Amino acid sequence: MTSRIQVLGIDAGGTMTDTFFVDTDGNFVVGKAQSTPQDESVGLVNSSVDALAQWHLTVEDVFPQLVTAVYSGTAMLNRIVQRKGMRVGLIVNRGMEDFHRMGRSVQSYLGYSYEDRLHLNTHRYDPPLVPRELTFGVTERVDMFGQVVIPLREQEAYEAARQLVSHDVEGIVISFLHAYKNPAHERRVRDIVLEVVRASGKNIPVFASSDYYPVRKESHRTNTTILEAYAAEPSRKTLVRINERFKQYGARFDLRVMASHGGTISWTAKELARTAVSGPIGGVIGTRYLGEQLGYRNIAATDIGGTSFDMALVVQGQFTIQHDPDMARLVLSLPLVQMDSVGSGAGSYVRIDPYTRAIRIGPDSAGYRVGVCWRESGVETVTVSDCHVVLGYINPDNFLGGQIRLDVERARAAIEEQIARPLGLSVEEAAAGVIELLDTRLRDHLRAMISGKGYHPSEFVCFSYGGAGPVHTYGYTDGLGFQEIIVPAWAAGFSAFGCAAAEFEYRYDKSLDINVAPDADAAERLEAVEELQSAWMELAEKVIEEFRLNGYAADQVTLLPGYRMMYRGQLNDLEIESPLGRLETAEDWNVLTDAFENTYARVYAKAARSPELGFTITGAIMRGLVDSVKPRIPEEAYGGITPPPQAHRGQRPFYFRKGWVKADVWDMDTLRAGNQIQGPAIIEAPATTFVVPPGWVTTLDAHRLFHLKRVE
Amino acid sequence: MAKVASGVDFRPLKLGGQVLKQHRDAVLHTSRETGHYAGLIRMDLKEKEPILYNKVFSRLRAGVVNARETAKRIAASPIVEQEGELCFTLYNPVGDSLMTSTGIIIHVGTMGAAIKYMIENGWEENPGIRPGDIFTNNDCLLGNVHPCDVHTIVPIFWEDQLVGWVGGVTHVIDTGAVGPGSMTMGPVQRFGDGYQVTCRKTGENDRPLRDWIHESQRSIRTTRYWLLDERTRIAGCHMIRDLVLDLIAEVGIDRYMRFAYEVIEDGRRGLIRRIRSLTVPGTYRGVAFVDVGYAHPDVNVPPYAKVDTIMHAPHEVTIRPDGTWKLDFDGSSRWGWHSFNAQPVSFTSGIWVMMTQTLIPTELINDGAYYATQFRLPKGTWQNPDDRRTAHSYSWHFLVSAWSALWRSLSTAYFARGYLEEVNAGNANTSNWLQGGGFNQYNEIHAVNSFEAASEGTGATAVKDGLDHAAAIWNPEGDMGDMEIWELAEPLIYLSRNVKANSGGYGKYRGGCGYETLRMVHNAKDWTMFFMGNGYMSSDWGLMGGYPAATGYRFEAHGTDLKQRIEQGLPLPLGPDADPDHPGYEQKMQAQSVRRDKQTMTTETIFENYDLYLNYLRGGPGFGDPIERDPEKIEADLNGNYLLPRYAEKVYGAVIYQDEEGRWHVDREATRERRQAIRQERIQKSRPTREWMQEERERILRKEASVQVRHMFATSFQLSPKFLEEFKRFWNLPEDWNLIEDELEAATFGAHHRMSVEQLPDVKRLVLVEE
Repeated sequence: MTSRIQVLGIDAGGTMTDTFFVDTDGNFVVGKAQSTPQDESVGLVNSSVDALAQWHLTVEDVFPQLVTAVYSGTAMLNRIVQRKGMRVGLIVNRGMEDFHRMGRSVQSYLGYSYEDRLHLNTHRYDPPLVPRELTFGVTERVDMFGQVVIPLREQEAYEAARQLVSHDVEGIVISFLHAYKNPAHERRVRDIVLEVVRASGKNIPVFASSDYYPVRKESHRTNTTILEAYAAEPSRKTLVRINERFKQYGARFDLRVMASHGGTISWTAKELARTAVSGPIGGVIGTRYLGEQLGYRNIAATDIGGTSFDMALVVQGQFTIQHDPDMARLVLSLPLVQMDSVGSGAGSYVRIDPYTRAIRIGPDSAGYRVGVCWRESGVETVTVSDCHVVLGYINPDNFLGGQIRLDVERARAAIEEQIARPLGLSVEEAAAGVIELLDTRLRDHLRAMISGKGYHPSEFVCFSYGGAGPVHTYGYTDGLGFQEIIVPAWAAGFSAFGCAAAEFEYRYDKSLDINVAPDADAAERLEAVEELQSAWMELAEKVIEEFRLNGYAADQVTLLPGYRMMYRGQLNDLEIESPLGRLETAEDWNVLTDAFENTYARVYAKAARSPELGFTITGAIMRGLVDSVKPRIPEEAYGGITPPPQAHRGQRPFYFRKGWVKADVWDMDTLRAGNQIQGPAIIEAPATTFVVPPGWVTTLDAHRLFHLKRVE
Repeated sequence: MAKVASGVDFRPLKLGGQVLKQHRDAVLHTSRETGHYAGLIRMDLKEKEPILYNKVFSRLRAGVVNARETAKRIAASPIVEQEGELCFTLYNPVGDSLMTSTGIIIHVGTMGAAIKYMIENGWEENPGIRPGDIFTNNDCLLGNVHPCDVHTIVPIFWEDQLVGWVGGVTHVIDTGAVGPGSMTMGPVQRFGDGYQVTCRKTGENDRPLRDWIHESQRSIRTTRYWLLDERTRIAGCHMIRDLVLDLIAEVGIDRYMRFAYEVIEDGRRGLIRRIRSLTVPGTYRGVAFVDVGYAHPDVNVPPYAKVDTIMHAPHEVTIRPDGTWKLDFDGSSRWGWHSFNAQPVSFTSGIWVMMTQTLIPTELINDGAYYATQFRLPKGTWQNPDDRRTAHSYSWHFLVSAWSALWRSLSTAYFARGYLEEVNAGNANTSNWLQGGGFNQYNEIHAVNSFEAASEGTGATAVKDGLDHAAAIWNPEGDMGDMEIWELAEPLIYLSRNVKANSGGYGKYRGGCGYETLRMVHNAKDWTMFFMGNGYMSSDWGLMGGYPAATGYRFEAHGTDLKQRIEQGLPLPLGPDADPDHPGYEQKMQAQSVRRDKQTMTTETIFENYDLYLNYLRGGPGFGDPIERDPEKIEADLNGNYLLPRYAEKVYGAVIYQDEEGRWHVDREATRERRQAIRQERIQKSRPTREWMQEERERILRKEASVQVRHMFATSFQLSPKFLEEFKRFWNLPEDWNLIEDELEAATFGAHHRMSVEQLPDVKRLVLVEE
């Protein structure tokens, strides 16, 4: 090996930690190991050892060569879900001391399936992050325009601070209504609390919501700010440990962490709560990056794992950002790469509804326990994987590279009893019916997701990845009319790859209320653009400051302004990347509204445009990025249409559309660029099975991407 | 049999003349003759192509849900956008629903009734039903719940043949009634109830007609909300229409049409199977009441409407061994001169909203459930008025109260079958409704209706407490929303938002507590507000020893000194109205007038800036005897301010004390003894039922009851001789005993003179229940 290994991507999921190493020529390896939640750095090293063994290298050889590594993990999320965070105190408006523990009613069913959302008696609340007895009120009120209605009563702030200090809290959060609009009271209380903390001789961090997430909706903003105190600081310790582990093996880079907005930030960043959701979005970032490298502008990203099917769109090289997402059953105000999820994956349970006799797939799943086919799993209900095994889609002797032996007969018996007999079908018909139904469901959701955003699949290339993605690629894309259907050879490690491909990027948001009537004169429009411009400048300073902490000068930072706009009176806005980098004249206002209206007409329908109401800018956005080293895409010489004979592993029976056929089995890693495989065929790699049914053909290109096509 | 079953032609319909009407007649006839929807004794598509059937289902389901999620983002009204008060439903040609989105699914039936009304009244011929048409309806006489639920209905044509309909509904914020707000207080007749439109063709070629846009905006207060709500409905309907046409292109027209009927038969059988597996056959009887307090100076209505009365809703549920069932509301009181009247469709359709939360929480919710159920709603009752003047703007006041009893009956059946987790002791009366209007903080004409009421305490189950501040009986996904969003929509500043202690009904498992918000008027001009909810009576009862939730009360303050107190840094009324028996707000301010009473329904009152309004959202009822409650739970309730200490002693029989840090504890041993003593006291206080009944009978003979109670019974007796007979038999009253309205010291408009809508020329009334 002559080229250097520069980039490492890490996706530490709930059950498996994936690593993705790539060298300067674009050669890559994917490693997998059991996750180690107690000390994530252990699983990370194990996964790295697994990956590098394929190159006959060790971590000691490789870590010192690395230029960059990007981490995404679930430790913080677990800490939140299990309520194992810090002891945090909360200061809110006097009179509103209950609002955090009340939460929002929606939090009693967040994350539920459609059925359980209706089923009232299943709803429940999780305990609040901050208990009521550590919540104190201070008299003040600011209205929605930012005007002071009740001046701050400072003596109450001193008293609240003293109380919290005496209760030995480990962090103090301050959140007042409409502080995003006028932060003066919050900041004054912050300074008072800091003063009291200093006087006590303790060291307690203080977080004012307006310093962190100055956006409207107090439940979202308060939850998110609390997470900074509750979970982010302890997670910083995890990152310190991982960083130290790297150093121990001779690494010389500073770890970056995947953040919810789709960029990476330093582990020393001020706002770390936004790294709580990161794993699943890695694939979306990887999709955008791969698209950029290969010239695909519009891509539908699809990812099937054991429990869910995740979808996202990259349009004109950009993904969409959601502003008030939920996570761990909490409403939050983080910018989050928008993904749509369906609770159906390879591990999903399959049942016949006893009342309607409908076939039900999910929403619960066997997860890593695979299905009835794995004797040791203890699973007794049929899963999608059981259907795969029975139909010959997956190799029972080579599951996870042979780590687990699957029992076909066990799966057959379970399908016979639970599905086939009640429906009056043969085992194969029933299993194939389940797969067909799952594929249809995924296809319908994919179609609905694309059309719901105002597009048609024919405008998109579809990327299919994830551990189980390539088994279903043909099924959920068939008939949608995508331009191309692409399965990367590193499908199983695609999220880790995506992390490594993310920009070093900070993003800040600020709520605004700039209302402009349809007949506004030039002076009013000028005033509006000046207000937005000044918000951009304020946010740009924050972005530049973060980079400065990481040793970058202001002129190395590329700034990308954006805004959120809606028709006056609406409650939902759209995020628009600004067509102008700087706003100066009244005419610029029209450029902003035109960009908004074009997007609006596409998302909802032309007839839903309502310019007669006027426009409102609800938020300013500033993104800043600096150059970073990213994985190189493989580039191989073409080896002709015919695959090398050593890639052929033989044949196995495969059930498709009411009949058994003989499928060729190919070794994925041995196939060469340019090789074409006719279905029925199954292409296997240690962590991936790619199904090419009869009537379909796939070609491997120079970048190790399989292009799948239906030929009849 | 086979001949009848093949009587329905499932091909798409080429309209002209009476085609639709004849088709609907055939569907109804074969359904009646065979006992299966549209004569579908066999479901060929489902049986022969089960995978395809499931695929079509999943496709349509994803489509209607997605259309709702996308379209609602167009709306400006927080009622639609934040609370999700909208719904889209797909119908077959005869107006029976196949599939519905989430949301206010009560409208599965109401929009279907509108389609059926058009079919029965010759819309096919005039004004005609053509591709690209848009119909609008919110007429309560056709079955709509209340005028603020506005329907957009679009026919779906495959080439030039009708294959179905799609309907979209949103709860608009104002309908131009006598008072502002979507469910205003004050109308006592239809003519003040808001702008009403009867299945009118309001659009052609997929575009609203200009005369409609102009007229409708002149007829209501909040034009921006109105406009964007309509765009929301139209966009959603068109998305679903496109989806259906795509699906037909894929699976073929014959299969789609077959599916459009089979899925309803499927829904019918699904409900029957659920009833069979979750309940025990038998007869379940219950009753519900709720107060109508109109003879009060703060209720400004015409003199004939100034009557204090009570809504009466007895029910009898008969579950047969085969899983079919009948719901009979014989004995209900008459409709009245208030806005709480309902319609059979809103009543029966609304029942599904409740059933889907316990009995059928599945994706398969459609008119099949209606065909599996026999309803009897006698004509003239408040659920089935026989006069065309009735007002309906807040029919939910009666509906939620009547359903609460039904929930208890069903819970009894679940309990009997062993499904303790499915028990729900009733549900909260979903109020108060903070409503009003005037000029808002943006200097525009405005109306408000705070949907904080979408979040109330829920009823206790047989295994755990109800949820605090969590859902509404009509929307399990209800939410209180963020204060910062409501302050955008309302010129009212929050001074509190907190759990309402003691609002959940006591019990071994207590009902969920409600909450309250104190609002100060700020930046409003020419502003009025009013209250709407239960105050004198509990409308939910609790189950098996559990208590009802607390009733409501009113707190409003006018002419306060808050401006000066704020300037001078003096104490302010912030936070809970912790113990209404010992009012605290009044200690922290001076006011020219404070109203603190049980009169929780009022008409418009003028509010100036710095006036106060308390919005109290109710709790849910409890389950089981309170003296069986776990002391640990009582401690948690006390320390979390869910329970006032004297009630821990009085109702729960707990012996409690506070430690030096102020935390409450329950003395386990002393409590055990106290509870033992309570049991003894109960035995001592009790007496034989016969003895007690004898005494009560004497009171009945003397007609010794408040005028509200007598008025309620007089109207029930007038409408149902059967109920009167049963009453007399139960109390062993003389044969000639009766109680009539003319005896009462109350106005009796409507007692003798009534005129129903079908007496209008050329109107064919739709009858969907046994009357």
